[in-house]
Amino acid sequence: MRRDTQNVLLVLLGGALIKISATDLYLRYVKPGNKWYLLTAGAVILLLAAVSLVRDAWQARAGARRPGPAGDGHHHGHGEPHSPWLLMLPVLAIFLVAPPALGADSVQRASAGNSVTTTASTSADFPPLPQGGAPELRLSDFVARAVWDRSGSLAGRDVTLTGFVVHRGGAPELARLVITCCAADARPMVVRLTGAPDLPSGSWLRLRARLLPGSATAADGYTPSVQVLDAEPIAEPTEAYEY
Amino acid sequence: MASPTDTTGNSSASDGTPVGEAEPDDAAAARNDPGQPSTATPSSTAAGPDTATTSTTAASPSTAASPRRSGWRRVTSLQVFSAVLVAALLLQRPLAAALDGTSVRIAATVFVAVCVQALPFLVLGVVLSGLIAAFVSPAALGRLLPKRAVFAVPAAGLAGAVLPGCECASVPVARRLIGQGLPDAAALTFLLAAPAINPVVLVATAVAFPGEPAMVAGRFGGSLATAVVMGWLWSRFGRPEWIAARVRQRVQPGSGGARWWVFLETARHDLVGAGGFLVLGGLSSAVLNVAVPASWLEGLAGHLLLGIVVMALLAVLLALCSEADAFVAASLGALPLLPRLVFLVVGPAVDVKLFALQAGTFGRGFAARFAPTTLVVATVCGTVAGLLALGGAR
Repeated sequence: MRRDTQNVLLVLLGGALIKISATDLYLRYVKPGNKWYLLTAGAVILLLAAVSLVRDAWQARAGARRPGPAGDGHHHGHGEPHSPWLLMLPVLAIFLVAPPALGADSVQRASAGNSVTTTASTSADFPPLPQGGAPELRLSDFVARAVWDRSGSLAGRDVTLTGFVVHRGGAPELARLVITCCAADARPMVVRLTGAPDLPSGSWLRLRARLLPGSATAADGYTPSVQVLDAEPIAEPTEAYEY
Repeated sequence: MASPTDTTGNSSASDGTPVGEAEPDDAAAARNDPGQPSTATPSSTAAGPDTATTSTTAASPSTAASPRRSGWRRVTSLQVFSAVLVAALLLQRPLAAALDGTSVRIAATVFVAVCVQALPFLVLGVVLSGLIAAFVSPAALGRLLPKRAVFAVPAAGLAGAVLPGCECASVPVARRLIGQGLPDAAALTFLLAAPAINPVVLVATAVAFPGEPAMVAGRFGGSLATAVVMGWLWSRFGRPEWIAARVRQRVQPGSGGARWWVFLETARHDLVGAGGFLVLGGLSSAVLNVAVPASWLEGLAGHLLLGIVVMALLAVLLALCSEADAFVAASLGALPLLPRLVFLVVGPAVDVKLFALQAGTFGRGFAARFAPTTLVVATVCGTVAGLLALGGAR
């Protein structure tokens, strides 16, 4: 690949990183903490390409007027690999397609049940829930409490959960994907719903629910069952994943 | 995709005029043997890595004397590039529709995610590489480590703890260290140790396995042992010629303001070089992410040895970033801790993404020898470290 083509490609690549981190698009792929890494990396890539483009143009002009060592950078020469062309793939994917955040399809493909750490947390790790109302809990927190918290902080309490519906045979489930670095390491967290409205897989719900006692054991794959008290369909949130 | 004018020899080509001496890259590459007499003159202020590393062929008489193909306007890579862009824009709708299949859509998201996650680390790596090329003299580098390989290798391994990044950052840095004259064995040990034992990764492991500090100890010990054993193996059996000759072309650091040009040019050059291979790695990781069935992990619970082998292979295929793999391992609750520790030790040392980066940076011959050996060594070291740290198989 020629040097000027490389630089144009780098401009696009840096632009793509800045574009997704300046909007909320990057949340489909990585966690919020990566925003500043992405902006910085995009800016550095743009800078490298821009400096190189300007310098080459300047040297080409200087070289045309006065051929000499300064204008005589042997930039190509040794059968450079074609591999830089591959950089077009993420650029095109980001600008043209911008693949959606992972969702119900990924949960469908995962094995049933929740994958929770075997190293038991203790009840001391769970502060008491806020008094009154139906406190908002992340789905992963709710599952962790349902599985490990023996202090009974969830007993008889209403909680508010947000996630998307998944049908995998059996009862409908409310699911959320948890990521640590990027979507490649997404792992599902699910709760089983009783009394949920009939909605297709992938619909997002915000619901008030209560844990059914005796669920979330090894026997049911650490999947809590909840009684749905109230459900409200919502649009997919910008932060589709939990972290 | 062919970009037939890669061999155009100077920046006058940037105005888009086809230059006559263009010829197929293979021919030019074949001529690019290190035995060519160098006519490099690093006197100009334009001394970037391209100038310094490629001048052997660019200025070699054989290239200049190559048969000219006049009368046929060569398509430049910029034209191909523009054509691909236009085609992609026109085909945007069908392209998006093609991505509608479930697996393809998941793979597309994972692919972009891997690239977006890794690019900042690659940028960090090439910036460090540029700084090393411009500001660290080979002599200073030589003083950093003990003279004898037996001691230099473990020292390089421990030095890996100071580069907080994933494997994408350490490949360009290790390449530049070799280029600036650090012994191969020490640089390769650094390459393996840096992504595995830096503080960020160890803290992430501790958070993912609360109440199991043995996992952190096992990971540190297993990964450091892998890096050091590989370094010793290289200094005993490794051959310098297994590493592509271009890696050893030393950049002329220049002086004063010229250093900053060297820095910019080295960073840009390494970014373009490694970026494509990072994309290749992301692509294979995305495909495997979708293709590896979840059922692989079911039914492994009772089989320790099989579990270790499968987890080592999974670490290679999934190519997770070393800061995230602990959380994935922690979530595989059905498995004993030992196979999961092997997963953590193998992952940062060898995976498909790293293999692509190594092949692109150090040459395919290197990667084909280094990666399989690393897999075996890492699996053994991870198992032994796990048995010691966890106090047996559990």
